[in-house]
Formats: sequence, structure tokens, C-alpha cells
Amino acid sequence: MTINNPTYDSSVEKPQKTKARKKSFFHANRGDSTFKRTIIHIILIGYCLISVYPLLRIFSVSLRPGNRVLSTDLSIIPPDATFENYRIVLFEQGLLQWIWNSIAVTVTTAIIGLIIAATSAYAFSRYKFKGRSTLLIYLLTTQMIPTAMLMVPLYILAIKLNMIGTYRGLIIAYSVTSVPFSIWILKGYYDTIPIELEEAAIIDGASPLQAFFKIILPLSTPALATTFLFNFSQAWNEFLIARIILGSQESILTWPLGLNRLMGQYLVQWGQYNAAAIIVSIPVMILFLSMSKYMISGLTLGSVKG
Amino acid sequence: MKKLRIVLIFSILALAFAACSQGAEVPTDELTIQLWTQEGESDNALQYVTSLTDAFTTMYPNITFEVVQKDTETLREDFQTASLAGAAPDLLWTVSDHAGPFTTAGIIQPVDDYFDMDIYVPSVVMNGQTWGVPISSGNHLMLYYNKALIAEPPADTDELIAKAQELTSGDQYGIVYNMTEPFWLAPWLGGFDGSVFAEDGVTPTLNTQAMIDTLQFMYDLKFTYGVIPESVDYDTADTLFKEGKAAMLINGDWSLGGYQELLGEDFGVAPIPMVTSTGKYPAPYTSGKYFMFPKDLSGAKLDAVVKFVEFATNEENQLNQLNTLKRLPGLKAVLDNEAIASDPILAGSAKQMSYGVPMPSVVEMRCIWDAIKPEQNLVLAGNETPVDAAAAMQSAAEACILQLE
Amino acid sequence: MFNFDAFLKSLSEIGSTILVVVLIVVVLEALLYLILVKWLKVKNALVYMLVSPAILGLLLLQIYPLLWEGYISMTNMSLSHFFNYSFIGLRNYVRVFTEPVLKQVTFLPLLWRTILWTLINVFFHVTGGMILALLLNRDMKMRGVYRMFIIIPWALPQVVAAMAWRGEFNYEYGWINVMLKQIGLTPVQWMTSPTPNFAAMCLVNIWLGIPFMTVIFLGGLQSISGEFYEAAEMDGASNWQKFWKITLPMMKPIMTPSIILGTVWTFNNFNIPFFINQYELESSDILVTALFRAAFEYNRYGFSAAFAYVIFFILLIYSAIYAKTTGALKGVKD
Repeated sequence: MTINNPTYDSSVEKPQKTKARKKSFFHANRGDSTFKRTIIHIILIGYCLISVYPLLRIFSVSLRPGNRVLSTDLSIIPPDATFENYRIVLFEQGLLQWIWNSIAVTVTTAIIGLIIAATSAYAFSRYKFKGRSTLLIYLLTTQMIPTAMLMVPLYILAIKLNMIGTYRGLIIAYSVTSVPFSIWILKGYYDTIPIELEEAAIIDGASPLQAFFKIILPLSTPALATTFLFNFSQAWNEFLIARIILGSQESILTWPLGLNRLMGQYLVQWGQYNAAAIIVSIPVMILFLSMSKYMISGLTLGSVKG
Repeated sequence: MKKLRIVLIFSILALAFAACSQGAEVPTDELTIQLWTQEGESDNALQYVTSLTDAFTTMYPNITFEVVQKDTETLREDFQTASLAGAAPDLLWTVSDHAGPFTTAGIIQPVDDYFDMDIYVPSVVMNGQTWGVPISSGNHLMLYYNKALIAEPPADTDELIAKAQELTSGDQYGIVYNMTEPFWLAPWLGGFDGSVFAEDGVTPTLNTQAMIDTLQFMYDLKFTYGVIPESVDYDTADTLFKEGKAAMLINGDWSLGGYQELLGEDFGVAPIPMVTSTGKYPAPYTSGKYFMFPKDLSGAKLDAVVKFVEFATNEENQLNQLNTLKRLPGLKAVLDNEAIASDPILAGSAKQMSYGVPMPSVVEMRCIWDAIKPEQNLVLAGNETPVDAAAAMQSAAEACILQLE
Repeated sequence: MFNFDAFLKSLSEIGSTILVVVLIVVVLEALLYLILVKWLKVKNALVYMLVSPAILGLLLLQIYPLLWEGYISMTNMSLSHFFNYSFIGLRNYVRVFTEPVLKQVTFLPLLWRTILWTLINVFFHVTGGMILALLLNRDMKMRGVYRMFIIIPWALPQVVAAMAWRGEFNYEYGWINVMLKQIGLTPVQWMTSPTPNFAAMCLVNIWLGIPFMTVIFLGGLQSISGEFYEAAEMDGASNWQKFWKITLPMMKPIMTPSIILGTVWTFNNFNIPFFINQYELESSDILVTALFRAAFEYNRYGFSAAFAYVIFFILLIYSAIYAKTTGALKGVKD
């Protein structure tokens, strides 16, 4: 069995589109009837509505003055709509600060994690060495550890290493936790790149490391992008570890911790909470949407060569 | 000039304070006190905490504070873990129920030696020792009513039901409250002459006639008299009251400010009506905020912390707290202050508190909450009888306490 | 309220963090270079130098906590034995299987419920994801727009999504009950009754998980060459046959790992069961939420450490069996 892998072609869709006309009869649209197409559009529109509806509700609550999470009114834009909550979270609460903190931590994490993973994955993909399969399986098992299991010891560790209340502890923790999954994605992708390309380069006098940087890395853009996106969204939304490492000094909080401050035991500032939720969701959505074209079959865990 | 004057006033204050204070000397070394608090920003309480620490630092510039805010559960978990790693903070400002787990784990110390506890409202006493200094008291439930809908609060439950029935029609309701949380069941249980623990304070007594009556009463309000909507949780009750769709609401003192702001003159506070059949007033749980001292606190830091606690709970600051946070004080002297008597809202709150009982702070309480909650919800969904529920609560609580080891 | 000092401070801290990481890596690599290349003259030294930063980090952040938990799991540590705990061997592991793990529920019913939760979710994630991917895998107008909307649940922070859905399940005001009432059905007690609450959890998590599968499967579908379908068409295969004979086998290398990971993630999903279960119904707890409650609400440290290990081993065994039967890890052995 072979799979026509997208591999080292970062613009998978384009060649298909140009060819689409020619082979569309067999492949892409297979000559769907108008009726069938209409049905498909209806299903997709229906699903899109389900997809966005909760987001619209969050938006709706964020526009309500006072603190009303519930209302007998089901309309999305309430009659007394106001952007007051947005003003409060942005200029009176520290949301801008929290978002900046999150961006700083998350981007650094994603980059460090990606560099560590990209080089390790290369070793796993191209070399056979002692302990290789054990290590690979170990990496996979780390995905199975429930986070709740790590919290107490991680907190003790952070205290001992004097990393409480610093980004340093958080960035290192996030980068490391993201590494196993990233290695698997990247290794899977490197495996699909023909080794002959590097061999040719090495014959031309390049060192293995040069071959990696000059050939493998540029060809792996889609997988690197996918990995970056995964790491980014993991770190962006993370709450439990941030809570124990950062503590609560207002100026250093990431947004999930900051948002949590708007919730008391019983008393929740729902309007502000939802306004903040909308604001923090925007960067991730932009990132997801702009990078979604790269999210190709990066996730193959190296089994493609069957 | 202005700055100079402020400094002057403060130094005079400091001198006066130093002159009349007894006991420990204020240390002169440079000290940083790490204070953990669970006060949040949303009700300005955290701002109040930092205003106290800042004022103290102005008096004693060598003592500075690092105020760390954590939410209630996080503070408990983190304080436990930090104590385990030997890196506990120097002072806690937290809720009274934390005293239970903290004494069980042996990570806080008794405060009897440092303070005269008679000047404070009753504090957490366990094993004959006092484990916290009260900062504020209250946190109790009471009856709120909307004067636009109901002129006078009902005096007893019969009247409550009668009035609520009059007021219930269409999407208007007589009374609402969070029916899903056992914290809202506790007052009624007291009113029906029950208690969650036996005399010893740790043996659960949930399978009692009082509990059955309580559940039956709550059930009747909903199903027999139909004065409460089908399913009400905190947010629903809150929304109905705010939208003027409910005449009465049972809620805690933490929400006083918000309603007062929204309803203005129409907002009224009263004790939860007396239970007609027993002639007793419902007894909401009272608790409060306490200073607690970590186990290893000693030496100069201890002296500084004692000084700070004295400062934070002196009459002036307790009054200040009453005015800014609308919280009832921990200092007895301030409880009798006219500021409370003259304010109808605070007076109503204080009156209700006098009917309250201190919330048990032993670790077993967690099991009680967890045992009541699901059964209460089953009864109020009409899926279980009060008799069965009471029996199930008891066995759940017993099983849970057994596991606490 | 943007604090410029804090902004600078965070920048400098990020800078110093990067510096520290770089420093650690450089020292590590230099050491390895000296030891492996100059001293031991190992042939594949480059390999070890490449993987060592990852391994070092994992050792510190995962192995250490695992060992700590392993040790604690053999003690009777709890609130009342906080400092003075003692070694009790494997007794906690026995207790996981013989005593209630939370309030009244014992381990096995909890495990079955977790498996049910995982099966329902993964089934709908995979079928839903596959259907959407098949629908999207064609030349059509608005394709990009659909894809954008479908991705939204994935991009939305989980906790925020959980909170928003919780509002929708409100008895009085939730959209779902309002709709039910309008079509003349009785509203459902989503929050307070066991089965509806479990159903609510599943609904939310299915909604959350479909986009991931859709995106991954769409990528896979696009990589299947059209020639296979052409050949099948020549043989007169129906669409249904083409799906079972070509699409599905071709997608296997992509589906297998996605299913393994999806299963593990769902099995370990904390946010949805924890936040949708607003009233802490024991009937809606799954293994990881029970673990969290045992550890942090009841402070049964020793017991919950053993409990955590049991969950960990269950997942390990599952993955090993699944990987073996489907050959997903073949690549490892090459």
C-alpha cells in the first residue's frame, strides 16, 4: 500500500486545483448533481451554525449591561447592548497585560519547543541507535499521564528550583511537555521525505547537520507549522500548571488566570468574563484560520511506509 | 507640602499607636512579609487588603509586604503543598473553613498566646485552642426583597407561602434561591431544629426528622405550592431577582452591594422567616475571614505579623472595613457601633447573623456537603423521597468520613 | 490598564529565560561532545547530542514527578498524616480496587463509565469528522468559509466553551430547553439528573472534538491520488464501495494515530466533565475528575497517587494493544 503523500510540497492544494478541472469528473466533485450539491451545502451550513452558536451566545452576554448571564431573551444582540464590559476588561481590568503575558509566554514556548523537537525528531527519523524505539514509545506514553497526577510534585519542584512567580518555570514546563507530541508529528513527516535528497547533498560535501538545515527543514514547513500551532494553542489555554507556577501577582498572570479572577465562589462577573473570552479567542482564531491550510496530514506518527 | 503633611499625620498616628500598643516589640530589621489572601478584586476586597499593608509599611518602613492573591480552593491546595515543601508564606488571610484541613495537617499554629481573643467575635476553636483571628464575620444568607413587589417581608413560613402564592403568576415568582447548593439548605435545617453534626462536632446526623422536614419543606415550596420556578440555581435566582421577576431572594451578604446598587430604595433586607411549625428562626451558617499563622512562623517575622494583625483589626480599621466593604466586623466593639444600627441594610444583615450558627470547620464538613448535594438535587427534581434522601445522605457521609483516614 | 514597567520586566524575563535555555543546551552539548566524541569516540555521537535536550527536560519534568508519585503511592500520606506518613507497601493499590474511590462509587463502575464516555465521544468525533471531511473534499463554493466556521470550536478556549455551554443547559433559560418547550416536549433537567448530565457532557465534548478530526482527515483525503478512484470507476464501483475499498484503507495510517490520541485525550479530558458537572454529581465523574477530587478535595495523597498510576497503566495497556493490532507503531521498529 502506498499513499501519495503530500510530503515536501507546501502548497498541496494548488496543484490539485489546477488539475481539478481535468480529473474533477472522477475525483473532486465526481459530477455531483445540483440536488446533491444543495443538500451538501445545507448540511454544512447547518453544522456551521451549531459550530458558531455558542460563540454568538458568549458575544451576546458580553454585550449585556449589569451582570446578567441568563436572560429570558434569546436574541443575540440585547436591546440594551453596550460595549461597557469590553471597556472595563480592557482598560480597568488588566486584560491587555494578561494577553501580552500570554503571548510572550506562548510564543517563546512554541519556538523553544519546536527547536528542541525538530532536532530530536531528525535523529529519530534518520538514525538507528540504541534505545531508539524505547525512547519513541516512552515519548508516546507521556501523553497518557493525567495532568492532575503531576501537579503536586511539579509545584514542589518549582519551589525547590526557585521558579515560583516567574515565566522561566512556566516556559520550561510548557516547552518540555509539548516536546513528545511534536517529535512524533515531525518524525512522521521527516520519514516521508526521501533520504536520497540528503544523500545527494552529503555527496556534494555537506555535513549531516547542514543537510538537515538546508534540505529537511525547508521541506517540512507544513509539519513545523502544524506543530507550532499545536504547541501554541496548548500553552495559550493552559490553566492548571500556570496556576501553580505563576501564583497570582497581577502583572505576571496569563489570561486564563486573569479571567479566573472574574469568578468568585458564587459571584461571577459574567458580562466581563464573556467580553474577555471573546477578546482572547480572537488571536487564536486568526492564527488557526491563517494556518489551517498547512494543517495537512502531518499527524501520521511515522507509520506511512506500510 | 501635601506629601509632608500626610507623612506627618502618619508618623503621629504611628507614635500614638506605638505608645498605646502592648506586647511584642516591632522588629527593626528589614523584613518582607508574604501574605496570602483569597480576597478578590471584583468586590474591591483585594484593594482593601493592599491599602492596609501599604498603610502599615508607611508606619514601619522596614516591613514590606508581598500580597499574593489566590482563589479560595487554590489557596488551600497551594498552602498545603507549600508547607510540605517547607516554603509556606508568613501570614494567611482566608476563610474560616480552612482552619479544619490546616489543623488536621498541622500546618498552622494556635494564636491564643499572641492575642486577647475575648475582644473578637467567636473564632475557630478546636482541641481547646484558637486557630485564627477574625477579620470580618458574616458570609451568611438572608432574605432580600423587592419593595416594589412586596411591601413587608413575611414573618414566618406560613406567611411566606401565602405571600409567595399571591405573587406567583406567569413568569413572576414569589421567592427564589439557589436550590442546588446545600449551603442554602443549611438555614432551613437549623429552622427545623436540626444540625449536621452531633454534639461531638464530627459525627454526621443527617438521617433525622429535621432533615426530612427540611427536604419536604423545600420540595413543597416547589411542587406543592409552586412558588419557586422549576429549577433554580445561583445564576437563575440572581437573574430573576435582578429582572424584577422574583419578589424575594435568599442570598449571601457578598451580594448586598450589587442589589443595593441596582434596586436602590426598593431593596430590603430581613431575616429568613421563622419556621412556623417549630417557632425557630432558620439558622444560616456564618463564617468569616480570619488571619491564620503558618506553623513555622517565629522570631522577628512573627512579631511583625502580630503587630500587623493588631493593626488590621483595630477599631479604626474595622470601621473602615465596614464602610468600604459592607462587611460585619470581627471586633466585638465595632459590632455595636451605630454605623451598623443606623444603616437598615447592615442592621438587617447583623440581625440575621445573630440567628446564624458558625459553620463547622472540621475536615468532615467536606463530606457533609458532598453527601447532601446530590440527594438534595434528586429530591428537588422529584426523583427521590425526603425519607430515602436523608438515609442516603447519612450513609454517604459516613462512608466518606471513613475514607478520610 | 497597561503597565509599561511590567511589560519591560516580562520582556527581560523572557530574554533571560531564552538565555538560560540556550546556556543549558550549549553546556550540555559541549559536555556530550567532549565525552562522546573526544573521549569515548562513539560513532553516532550526533544522534545523542540531538536528542539530549529533549530527554533532559523530560527527565526533570516528567520522570521526577512520576517517581515522586510512585513513592507517595506506597505511603499513607493524607491530611492527617501530612508530615508523619509511613510506608505501607502496595496497600493503596489494593484499596483502589476494593474501596470507593470517591464517595460511593467503586473503581470498576467508574472505569466502565469512562470507557463509555470515551467510546461515545471518539465514535462521534471520527464519524462526524469523516463526514464533514468528505463533504468538504470537493470543489465547491464557500469551501473556505465552511472550513473556517467548522474550526471555531477547536480554536475557542475549552474552559470558555464549557462555561458557554453550561448556560445553554440551564433549565429555565438554556437555549436547548427553550427549544424543547417550543416544540411541545418536556424540558430536561440537564444539570441535576444523572443521565441528562452525562449526555450534556458528551454533547459538548463531541462538539469540541469534531473540528480536530475534520482537519486531520481532510488533509488525509486530499493526499489520496485521484487515480485510485478512476480505476475503481472503470470497474463500476459505487460510491459506497469506493469509500470502503479505497478511502478507508488509504486513510488508515492517518486514522490510527488520530484515534489513539483522540482516545487518550478524551479518556484524560478534565475540563468538560469537570465544568459541565456543575453540581458535582458523582454519576458524571470519570476517572480523571475523580482523581482530581480525591487528590485535591479530599487530600488523600497516597491513595490518589496509586489511583493515578492505575489510570496511567490502563492507558498504556490500551495503547500497546491498539498499536500492536493496527501496526501503528511499525515505523518505530524500522
